[in-house]
Amino acid sequence: MKIDKILVSVLQRRFKSITEEMSIVLTKTTRSPILCEAKDFVTGLYDGKGKMLEQTENLPILSFSLGPVCEYIVDYFGDEIYPGDVIFHNDVFSMGNQNNDVAVYKPIFFEDRLVAWAAAKGHQADVGGAVAGGYNPKATEVWQETLRIPPVKVYERGKLRKDVWDLIFANIRFEIVAADMRAQIGSCVVGERGILKLLEKYGLDVFETHKEYLYESTEKMMRAEIATIPNGTYRGEATVYYDGRTPGSKYKIRVTITVDDEEITFDYSDTDPQTDGFVNGTYTSSASATLLTFLQMVNPDIPHNDGMVRPVKILIPEGTILNARYPAATTFGNHLCPPNADAIIRALSRAIPERVTAGWNQLLCYLTSGYDTRKNDNYVDIGFLGLKGGSGGTKGVDGYDHIGMIDASGGVLDQDYEMFEQQTPHLLLQHEYWPDSAGAGEQRGGLGVETRFEIGGRNTKVVTFGDGDVEPAFGLFGGRDATLNRIELHYPDGTVYKTTTKDLVEDVPAGTVLFQQAGGGGGYGDPYLRDPARVAREVRNGIVSVERAEEEYGVVIDPETREVKQKETERMRAKRHV
Amino acid sequence: MEYKIGIDVGGTFTDFLLTSEDRNPEIYKVLSTPDDPSVGLMNGLAEMAGAHGMDIGDFIKNVTTIVHGTTVTTNAVLTRKGARTGLLTTKGLRDALEMRRGIREEQYNNRYTNVEPLVPRYLRYPVEERLDYKGEVVSDLDTADLLDAAELFRKEGVEAIAICFMNSFADDRHESVAAGVMKEQFPDAYLTVSSVFLPSIRFYDRISTTVLNSYVGPILKRYLTSLIEKLDAVGFEGILLIMQSNGGVVSPQIAMDNAAVTLLSGPAAGPVAGIEYTSIQGYTDCITVDMGGTSFDAALIKDKTPLVTTEGEINRLRLSLPMLDIVTIGAGGGSIGWVDEGGLLRMGPQSAGSKPGPACYDLGGVLPTCTDADLLLGLLDKDFFAGGKIPLDYDRAVQAVKEKIADPLGMDPIEAAAGMYRVINVNMASGVREVSVKRGHDPREFPLVAAGGAGPVHACMIALELEIPVIMIPKESSIFCAAGMLMSDLKHNFVRTYSTRLNDIDAKKFKSIFLDMEREATKLLKSEHIPRDAIQHIYSLDLRYVKQYHEVNVRITRDEFEGADVSAIVDRFHPEHNRLFGYSLEEEGTPIELINLRLLSIGKTAKPKFVQEQYDGEDPLNAFKKRRKVYLPLAKTFEMVPVYDGHKLKFGNKVEGPAIIEQVNTTTFVTPEYTVLCDRYGSYTMFVKDREDEIKRKIGI
Repeated sequence: MKIDKILVSVLQRRFKSITEEMSIVLTKTTRSPILCEAKDFVTGLYDGKGKMLEQTENLPILSFSLGPVCEYIVDYFGDEIYPGDVIFHNDVFSMGNQNNDVAVYKPIFFEDRLVAWAAAKGHQADVGGAVAGGYNPKATEVWQETLRIPPVKVYERGKLRKDVWDLIFANIRFEIVAADMRAQIGSCVVGERGILKLLEKYGLDVFETHKEYLYESTEKMMRAEIATIPNGTYRGEATVYYDGRTPGSKYKIRVTITVDDEEITFDYSDTDPQTDGFVNGTYTSSASATLLTFLQMVNPDIPHNDGMVRPVKILIPEGTILNARYPAATTFGNHLCPPNADAIIRALSRAIPERVTAGWNQLLCYLTSGYDTRKNDNYVDIGFLGLKGGSGGTKGVDGYDHIGMIDASGGVLDQDYEMFEQQTPHLLLQHEYWPDSAGAGEQRGGLGVETRFEIGGRNTKVVTFGDGDVEPAFGLFGGRDATLNRIELHYPDGTVYKTTTKDLVEDVPAGTVLFQQAGGGGGYGDPYLRDPARVAREVRNGIVSVERAEEEYGVVIDPETREVKQKETERMRAKRHV
Repeated sequence: MEYKIGIDVGGTFTDFLLTSEDRNPEIYKVLSTPDDPSVGLMNGLAEMAGAHGMDIGDFIKNVTTIVHGTTVTTNAVLTRKGARTGLLTTKGLRDALEMRRGIREEQYNNRYTNVEPLVPRYLRYPVEERLDYKGEVVSDLDTADLLDAAELFRKEGVEAIAICFMNSFADDRHESVAAGVMKEQFPDAYLTVSSVFLPSIRFYDRISTTVLNSYVGPILKRYLTSLIEKLDAVGFEGILLIMQSNGGVVSPQIAMDNAAVTLLSGPAAGPVAGIEYTSIQGYTDCITVDMGGTSFDAALIKDKTPLVTTEGEINRLRLSLPMLDIVTIGAGGGSIGWVDEGGLLRMGPQSAGSKPGPACYDLGGVLPTCTDADLLLGLLDKDFFAGGKIPLDYDRAVQAVKEKIADPLGMDPIEAAAGMYRVINVNMASGVREVSVKRGHDPREFPLVAAGGAGPVHACMIALELEIPVIMIPKESSIFCAAGMLMSDLKHNFVRTYSTRLNDIDAKKFKSIFLDMEREATKLLKSEHIPRDAIQHIYSLDLRYVKQYHEVNVRITRDEFEGADVSAIVDRFHPEHNRLFGYSLEEEGTPIELINLRLLSIGKTAKPKFVQEQYDGEDPLNAFKKRRKVYLPLAKTFEMVPVYDGHKLKFGNKVEGPAIIEQVNTTTFVTPEYTVLCDRYGSYTMFVKDREDEIKRKIGI
């Protein structure tokens, strides 16, 4: 069949707009703030074999396991997939990325043939297990984390399997989860309708051949991008600190990247073995992290479909911290993305120095829960606003201030301050850029943020998860490291407790102030090459101190006028260069 | 003779529509004067006077109303040429404005930078003060901070000030003290106080909107003051009204004090015009699309009411005032076609604009645009573009399409032009999908009103892509917004936050908030000379299920708010939630939360009347010009197609597709799937064959 190249463009545009429509259904209808406020979900379309057609990736770390699970489901049910089926899945030992992220798959049939799939996956408020919400730092095996859901049909041929539905939701604490899963099914129905309309219009043969052509043209784009990276083998490593069990424990992520003309391989064979706690990745959470980091170094306009991933190989041996062996605990796995990204950036900084960023601030997050005496109701709040540090600087562009971890890359939003005070019993005292937190550089890192709030209500629990309190975001090519993450509880009696990065603190009294610093991003290039006028502007704005301007940038600022002292600056900069 | 004039200032042209009781409306277009748009406006008035054989002084005496849409505020934000603004905000929270809740819109693009804030950090002054979530004082206001801020602002030459404190939606006591001090210190500064301007919850939304108002306030004030002086100088004694983003108009004085209401007013008159044109034929719903040189605006109207949003943005900055929900995408006559690295054809969003313009303008543009493709396909006549004022160069168009599209794709230039035409139509169709499907409406149930210079060339193909059976091309389609302005009523929005569970509502408080807003509105409309019997109030509530984050706006009646009739309100909320999102939690008994009370007050204005034509029979022969070769997209071949002079088509004339209808300012392409009927006002209705009887009934044949 002759390919209508214009129709290929048309189909690509339509796939994208269908996944966006699926995404809107979830934003507007879900009730868990993790979904509707933070948009911790993805939607996607897959072909009959489970290959990616298009995705809308609000939180990229979730997105690149939808395809592998879809292929697994096709294989698992074989010829027992019927029109009207709806399949749930979260199991990390059958390609799931994190067991809090539960996916819905709906097969799409046309003229009695399985031609495509619609899928939606979201981070659920609870999926059973030992601890509400699934973050159980004490877990040593999967059953202590959540209910395992390997592929299971909750609808077959359009009929609800009530027994199966009840079995699943009998094991889940919060009622809103069932409502949110219904919303995900609704999202897949919207996707199915969109694909069927295209098939009715163009017919199956045209659809299939043009889809293949789309994959090929996307693959060509990706290959052309990879071809711009010099051939060679590049190694990088990063450290994961504290497994939640043994203070001072450390694990290395080691990646060997081989660029061979138009193909690239990420090999993690030298990475340290898995931990015996929950700080472990699964293959798909780790591979997602690898892909999303690499995608930031290529043309952002490349469509996201199977063609994009074809020239990229990712090898992660089982038994490593990035691909833990059954039945390990793995809930922390998504949060191994930041150190994984660090290892990749370090490796590729030698190959494509102008396209990598310096290190990003690592995630450190708190979660408060308790009883709101104003409303006589329980509440849970994830500290999105406090966790967002800076990204690393890159060639010609400063890091992004207050963006948050690389696995979301600015896709997760702060709570609005006034809504935060309506919905929790806390009083927000400060949420501002943290001056001098960014790594200095010709391009500085993004600024981190300081947050302070007074805890109210009763029975307050504070949970923390993350990293970044030992090693700051790193600078590159002469750029400086940034600042560390920190969470402290200042009790009303004057004592201060600095939390660990995987902590659970119970019975926090009202009046305690939670103080968080999310560090900045690393600097890029020699800070002495930064334009003194920019440094002066930042001093004037109070985000760089007069002292730091002099120490780090060699820019002497008159503390009164806030203007650059040209001569002193020249002298100072010349001195160091000698 | 009494005239009313609608004036829409665009990037290239300033459009005028002149109406009177007993004559056909007249269209004028003059070149815009971006440095001072009032110059182009006055030029247009002079041209009109000349056309009527009068000098401007005699002419302007007959003008009772001028409705004016201006983009001076929009441009001030886009080009960062607003006023130097200082901000007073609560200590500890000075960066909310710049952080924008920590979003990076392009997640995979590490070269994508944050927007520069309208107020730099050193002019965002933190003030010691704090109210809690109920508006009760946690920390007293430190007036010494205010004086320090005043000193800084004076030193820095600030000409506009914004005040936004935490939780001030619940109580204005600290903001009003701060406002008093600032007025005393800076009697001439432009001041916006958040608890007055937008007393609703959501700190980032409020601070961003408040700052935007101060940033553009002095710009609008200067512009309108100078315009009024110019109009006074020629003896204008009628009423001047200014278009707002909410689809209503407002008197200049009120616009100056609330300058941000004009920020996205550019396309806002389009939907208003859409309602008027389609309601003539008995429709209550429609979708309007307006395709100009660089952008394409789509809006949806349901029950004669355009969709409204409070989640608007300008240049990535939140603008949280009620405004028409208009989807704008980068698709226009000037949109540039290109081939990406993977060999796929794309159109836009880059545009060649009017300078250098499409390749066929021969003004230096060498990149192939939508207009070039339209020319290659025979949809435009090289000798009759803009009525022949702009000659088009066919060879330049071919060359651009060949070099940039056809050769890289291994096609001939016609095939490539057809591809460009198709891709841009798909892009525009997805803009329409966004405003319909994504908002829960099926576009097939709406007539498509196509406007703008380039809109009618593409309307049929957009409609086919979406399976829309009925299309309307208004007679004034090329100056659609100028026409819409004359049809707009005065409109004012008010909002107050009252955050509580609906069941715990304090009836007295609830009622008094609405009555306060109503009093304020009536006073305002009275100052705009609207008699009491021409005022309409629309009451609504922002409600949600407990623990949800997105509210649903529900309209209620006067009786319901006076009686604080919770059960009636609940009965309205559940089905509305169900309609929008496909489910309700009525059976589960989930409690409902109230967030905001809203009032929309409308002052009805007299609408221009259009002259009706006599029935002329079906035969369009009088308007027949010639036949020319036109490319038919679905058949993928050229065919000789009849061309009609649109100005000669009469009421009742029927044209079967394929056909071309040419007017001076626009060309309508009727594909073979559609038939056209001309209605008694000179507008065209296009429809698929099996709708003919229905359409004839609607237009009264």
